[in-house]
Amino acid sequence: MALRELKVCLLGDTGVGKSSIVWRFVEDSFDPNINPTIGASFMTKTVPHQNELHKFLIWDTAGQERFRALAPMYYRGSTAAIIVYDITKEETFLTLKNWVKELRQHGPPNIVVAIAGNKCDLNDVREVLEKDAKDYADSINAVFVETSAKNAININELFIEISKRIPSANAGATSGKGFKLRRQSSEVERRCC
Amino acid sequence: MDGIGEESSPRNPLALPWDRFSAWLHAICVVGFDLELGQTVEALYPPHANLTDKEKTSICYLSFPDSNSGCLGDTQFCFRFRQSTGRRASLHCANDLTDRESPVYLKKDPACFYGYVYFRQVRDKTLKRGYFQKSLVLISKLPYINFFHTVLKQLAPEYFERSEPCLEAACSDIDRWPSPVPGKTLTLPIMGVVIKVRIPTRYDKPGTTQMVELSQQVNEVERFQSEAQISVTLPTIHEVDLFRCFSPVLFHIQMVWELVLLGEPLVVMAPSPSQSSETVLALVGCISPLKYCSDFRPYFTIHDTEFKEYTTRTQAPPSVIFGVTNPFFAKTLQHWPHIIRIGDVKLAGDVPKQVKVKKLKNLKTLDSKPGVYSSYKPYLNRDEEIIKQLQKGVQQRRPTEAQNAILRRHFLELTQSFIIPLERYVAGLMPLLKSVCAWKSPPQLKPFSQEEFMKSLERAGPQLTSALKGDWIGLYRHFLRSPNFDGWFRMRRKEMMQKLEALHLEALCNEDLLMWVQKHTEVEAVDLVLKLKNKLAQAQREELPVKAETLEKLRNHVCAIIDELPEDLQGILLKTAHS
Repeated sequence: MALRELKVCLLGDTGVGKSSIVWRFVEDSFDPNINPTIGASFMTKTVPHQNELHKFLIWDTAGQERFRALAPMYYRGSTAAIIVYDITKEETFLTLKNWVKELRQHGPPNIVVAIAGNKCDLNDVREVLEKDAKDYADSINAVFVETSAKNAININELFIEISKRIPSANAGATSGKGFKLRRQSSEVERRCC
Repeated sequence: MDGIGEESSPRNPLALPWDRFSAWLHAICVVGFDLELGQTVEALYPPHANLTDKEKTSICYLSFPDSNSGCLGDTQFCFRFRQSTGRRASLHCANDLTDRESPVYLKKDPACFYGYVYFRQVRDKTLKRGYFQKSLVLISKLPYINFFHTVLKQLAPEYFERSEPCLEAACSDIDRWPSPVPGKTLTLPIMGVVIKVRIPTRYDKPGTTQMVELSQQVNEVERFQSEAQISVTLPTIHEVDLFRCFSPVLFHIQMVWELVLLGEPLVVMAPSPSQSSETVLALVGCISPLKYCSDFRPYFTIHDTEFKEYTTRTQAPPSVIFGVTNPFFAKTLQHWPHIIRIGDVKLAGDVPKQVKVKKLKNLKTLDSKPGVYSSYKPYLNRDEEIIKQLQKGVQQRRPTEAQNAILRRHFLELTQSFIIPLERYVAGLMPLLKSVCAWKSPPQLKPFSQEEFMKSLERAGPQLTSALKGDWIGLYRHFLRSPNFDGWFRMRRKEMMQKLEALHLEALCNEDLLMWVQKHTEVEAVDLVLKLKNKLAQAQREELPVKAETLEKLRNHVCAIIDELPEDLQGILLKTAHS
C-alpha cells in the first residue's frame, strides 16, 4: 500500500479546542487543563484510505493573537486545513470566516478546508446554530462537522471526510492540475538521494 | 510510529522546559548592530542561557562578516570558539550516553562551542546606518554542520520576516525533539516543516550512505513533498561538499590531505566567511574516519581571544587550521608555512587550470592570486587518476553530488590505506589472552615501537590497498610525531586497556572464589572483597565492555564471600558496598 504524507494544519481562535481535537485523534485522550500552544505543536497519525495509507503530519497552531503572523508557515504546503470554532462562542465563528479569507488569498490552491464546530457537548449554551454553520460551509465547499473532543464525537469522522476529499496520488499525477501545492523550493530541499 | 515526533516519549514527566532543547543547542542568539556599541546580543534563548560576557563578545564578533567582505543579501557560515576557562565542564559532554555511541568525529567538544550563523544584510533607508544587518546564531556543542545549516535555512528567513514569536515557536519545537541518539532516524518538526535525518553511530561502516532504509517508493513521495515544503530529508548530518570546497585547489588535494593528516599549521584566506568556514570544515573532514585532533577555526577574526597566541612570531606557528577573510591576516600570517588562498566563486563549468604551488614570499598583498602557498614537498605522488576523473566530470557537467561522492571516496580510501597498517600493528600490542590471569593484575600493553612498526610495513604496508607510490615511510615517520597520531593512539590504547580490564573481570568471574577464600586467611578474603568492589565500580564508571551477566555473577560472588565472613566484618563490608 502506498504511503502518502499529508500536511494538515489546524487554525482557529484560542481556546476553541484545536489541541484537544488532535489529542483525541492521535492519542484518544482528553485533558481539560491543556496548556495554550506555543507556536505550533506537531503530531502524526496514519490511517488507511482505500488502497493508500494517509500519514497526516498535523501542525496544531497556536490560537493566541501574538502567533497570528506565523500561520503561513503552517498552512504553506498543507493538503488540508481544519478551521475550528467553539459552538458556544459566536465570535470564534467570525474568526473562522477570516481564516477562510486568508486561506483563499494566501493558502495553497486546492487546499481542502474542513470546518469543525467543537464543544458540541455543550448544546445548552450554544451560540452558533448548526444550520448556519453548515450553510456557510456548503457555500465555500468545505467539509463540515460538529465535534466534541471531550466526548469523542465526530473526531475520526472529521479526518475520514478529509481523506475522501483528497484526490488519489495517481489521479493527481495524471490530471496534473488537480493537486499541486508546488512553490519554489530551495536547493537543499531538492537534494533527495 | 505515530504520535509526537516519532522516537520520542511524548509525556516524559521528568523533562523540564528546555531539557530537550539543551540536548541539541546551548542557545539561540540574535546579534544586531548598534551604532554606538557595535555588535550586540539583542535576544537570547533560553533567557537564562549560561554564556559568560567573554563568550558573548566572541559570539558578537564571529557572527558578522569582516567589514571588507561585503556579503550583501543572506550569508550562512559557521564558527567555533573556545569556551571560557573555569566554566564547569558541562555534564552533557562528560556523562552522555548519546555521545559514547557517536563516531569520534561527531562527538561533542568539551572545550569548544560551534556557532552556526545566518547573516542578513540589506539596504534599508529607514535605518540610520542605511543597512539592515542581523545574524541569527545557533550555539551548540554538536558538529552537525549540514543539519544546523538546514535548520537555519528554515528558521532565519521566517524570523527576519515575522520576528520574535518565531523564535519562541522554534524553541518550543526544538524542546520537543527526541535526543540525537546515534543510529536513529529522527523526524524533527520545525517551523511547519519536518526534517528527517539519521544520526550516525560509531559502528557505521565509513563511507556508506546514510538514509538507506528509505525505499525507492518513499523517495518518490518525498520528492513530491519537498517541493510542497512539507519535509526535508538530509542525506548527511555533518558532511560538507568536498568537491565544491576543494575545486579551487583540485590539483593539490594530495598535498592538502597530507598537510591535514600531519596537523601542519594551515590557514585558509577566503573572500567570505561562508567560503572560509566551508573550506576549513572540508579540510578537517578529508581525513575522516580519522579525527582531526588539533584546534580548527572555520572563521577566525582579529578579535578572537586566541588571536595573539596563534599569530605570534616569537614561536613556531601552532598545529591549527583556521579560516580568515580579513586582508590584515595576509600580513600578520606571512610567516605561516602553508596558506590556501581562495578567490571569488568561479562560474559553474569552469575547468580549473593546472597551477603550480606558489612560493610563500609571493603572498604579501591582498590581491595575491588564488592557490596553495607552501614550500612543503608531498611524501606521496599525486594521484593523476582522480584528478582526471574529476576534470572529466566537470567537462561532462556531472552533478556536484556525484563529484563530491567520488572525491569523498578517494579520501576515504587513501586514509584507510594509511591507517590500516597502524591499526594492525597496534592490535598486536595486545597481550595474549592466556596471559590474563585472575590472580594477577591485568597484563600491560606492549609499548609502541616505531622501528617494529616500520618493519611491519614491509609485509603489510599501504601497498596492499593503495597503488599510490611515494615515500610512505617518511609520511608515517612524520605522522607519528603529529597531534593526530597522539590523539588516535591515546584512544586506541584506552580502548585496549579497557578490554584487558574486561577480560580480567571475566577471568575473576570464572574462578571458584569461595573455594579460594576457604583456603586463605580472613585478611586476604577481606582484601579480595575490597578489590572486587573496586573492580565493579570501575566497570560501571568506565562502561567497560563486559556483559551484564558477568557483572551480576561477580556481584553474587562478592555477596557469597561476605556471607562466609564473621558477622562484625559482614556489617562493615556491606556498608562499603554503597559508598
